[in-house]
Amino acid sequence: MIAGNSAIVATGMGVRRGGRWLLRPVAFGMAEGVIGIAGPPGAGKSTLLATFATLRRPQAGVLEILGHDTGNSAGLRAVRGRIGYLPGRFCWAETMTAGEFIGYAAYYKGMRAADVDQALERLGLTESAGTELSLLPPDVRLRAGLAATCVHAPALVLLDEPLNGLGDAAAAETIPVLRSLAPTVVVTAGSAAELTPWCDRVLALEGGRLAELPPHGAGRPVPLPAAPDAAPGRRRPSVRPLAALLPRIVLGRMAAGSGAGV
Amino acid sequence: MSEFGRVLRVEARRSALLVAVPALAGAGVIAAWLSLVPGVAYWDNSVVALLNAVLLLGPVAAALSAWAAVRERNLDYLRDLTARSPATAALLDLLLLAAGALIAYTAVTAVVVTSTLARAGAGPLHPLGVPVGASALVLHVVAGYLAGRVAPRPATPVAVLALSWPWAMLREPGRSWLSLLPPPAFGRVALFTGLRPGVLADQLVWAAGLTAALVLAYAGWTNRRAFVAVPLAVALAVTAVATVRLASTGGRAVQAAPVAPACREWPLTVCVHPAQRAALPTLTAAAVPLAARLNGTPAGFTRVEQRPLTEPTVVAGGVATVHLDEELAPGYQTRAVRQIRDGLVTARACASPAAVRYRALVDAWLLGEPPPQAPATAAARRFGGWSEDRRRAWLRVHFAAYRDCALRASSFTGPAAGRHKGGKHGSGPSSA
Repeated sequence: MIAGNSAIVATGMGVRRGGRWLLRPVAFGMAEGVIGIAGPPGAGKSTLLATFATLRRPQAGVLEILGHDTGNSAGLRAVRGRIGYLPGRFCWAETMTAGEFIGYAAYYKGMRAADVDQALERLGLTESAGTELSLLPPDVRLRAGLAATCVHAPALVLLDEPLNGLGDAAAAETIPVLRSLAPTVVVTAGSAAELTPWCDRVLALEGGRLAELPPHGAGRPVPLPAAPDAAPGRRRPSVRPLAALLPRIVLGRMAAGSGAGV
Repeated sequence: MSEFGRVLRVEARRSALLVAVPALAGAGVIAAWLSLVPGVAYWDNSVVALLNAVLLLGPVAAALSAWAAVRERNLDYLRDLTARSPATAALLDLLLLAAGALIAYTAVTAVVVTSTLARAGAGPLHPLGVPVGASALVLHVVAGYLAGRVAPRPATPVAVLALSWPWAMLREPGRSWLSLLPPPAFGRVALFTGLRPGVLADQLVWAAGLTAALVLAYAGWTNRRAFVAVPLAVALAVTAVATVRLASTGGRAVQAAPVAPACREWPLTVCVHPAQRAALPTLTAAAVPLAARLNGTPAGFTRVEQRPLTEPTVVAGGVATVHLDEELAPGYQTRAVRQIRDGLVTARACASPAAVRYRALVDAWLLGEPPPQAPATAAARRFGGWSEDRRRAWLRVHFAAYRDCALRASSFTGPAAGRHKGGKHGSGPSSA
């Protein structure tokens, strides 16, 4: 049963921003593996990812992350230390060196200096540790961001357009790294074509609807079921099993988008 | 270096403290220096200068803190997804920002204290004065930072400055008790008065209570923990009590402050407020000629005392009281001697225009000034031709007429003038 293994379980969850639904109330689950979310610029991918990261609250429904209800404080505190999140623009820290950046993240994750060294080594950053992020090539800077995101070995990693700005060769080298970061990795991209070759599952977000794309781009997208009894602003007390809510229909490829996330 | 130390160093660099602290310190020193009374070293006014510096530093520190909070929101994806308390990042930021503001404030305090000590500061020390300013500054930092956390928008620092600046600058000292709320707006403390320690204590409690309430409310909100409610309620209650106590003052922050004067004993006894002891030599030199000329008259005096501005100046019982400019502006000694002269005469109207001229003639001599430009009269010619001793002898005889503005031409003739030629009377100074 998917509900039992799902890292993310949304029940009637809706997300609004700027007075419009970025995601209308819907039920879905995300189990282990690499899950891609594609959508055009402004579709709400970044906001949805920040919601999964518990940095935003959904306006409707219930969101469970790693088995914890994010609607209560105990669940929130329990889960936050197990999430790794890298927004699309993490260059706000560009004056830090790579080592400082990872050490900074490690402090808030409750990790020690040895964990920082391990993260640097694991992502091949030992020689770049003393260099400011702004001076690093984009792929190395991304790896520094990934090291900071995963220094605490999270169970769920959320990456907002991680391959944006990388060349084909650098992206090809990075994809295996992304797949190995955590049991569940959720990535976004402007185009489904960027995700289908290497993601286990791809969802498309557009017009406030989340639709499942078939593996490897065959068939047409199928919308995930809306939650009939999840009115906006109303939270549901329990989570339903999601197996029945996740139809696996082979669908065609979505039109590719090109913008950065919100 | 520990992980905590490394993070603090990174945070300090990100919040631009290396730039902010010297800038705040410089602005604070200038503000305090402008408030210090030149030439006067009075601890009460040093405290006021320090608090006036906070009136400037507070809004700037609040805006800076709001800017730091808005900027640091961009790292929330690292700082909020934490195994530690969700308030950790904000508390670390507050720790650094408050420390930076306090370092700047300490620099300002050092300048003010050194300046006061260098001029042999007088008056009671107010140990509470320094923490009152510090607590008001920290309150600004906390309020500004939390505003930036709650509303992380580029306009927030500007809004914080726009709100805190008028609050600090537009409250007129002494008009209302609201001017006593931190950052307090104090006017210059007059000599012979002092700040009320109770007001300073209430201001300290008010700022500390409100700061604690803000921090606890934020920590409780981010942690979603109910137990914070108890200390929060205590902090709010303490703040409310301090507010009531400050309101009950009606805005009066000063009280009379008796002080042991600084005196110079020879050739006259001259006593002034210890904050103005630098005036003693000059004032003595100015008062001695007048004392010598009045020696032997009912207005003779051997002691000069500075009195508060609220008391009149008189010459009685051998004591002449004077007021001195708080800033000891040039000519203060001349003005003091004129006050003594003004205390000699009655307010009675002069008997005639001629009496006015005769009094002016004597006044000029008493004050050591050139005789007035008036139509030459026989009396004036005679008085001008007399020696110093003869004039003094003449005044001893005619002092009552001089005091009552009843001098006549005949006052400048007769045997009295000559009889006392060269004579010395009284126990005070006998020559200028």
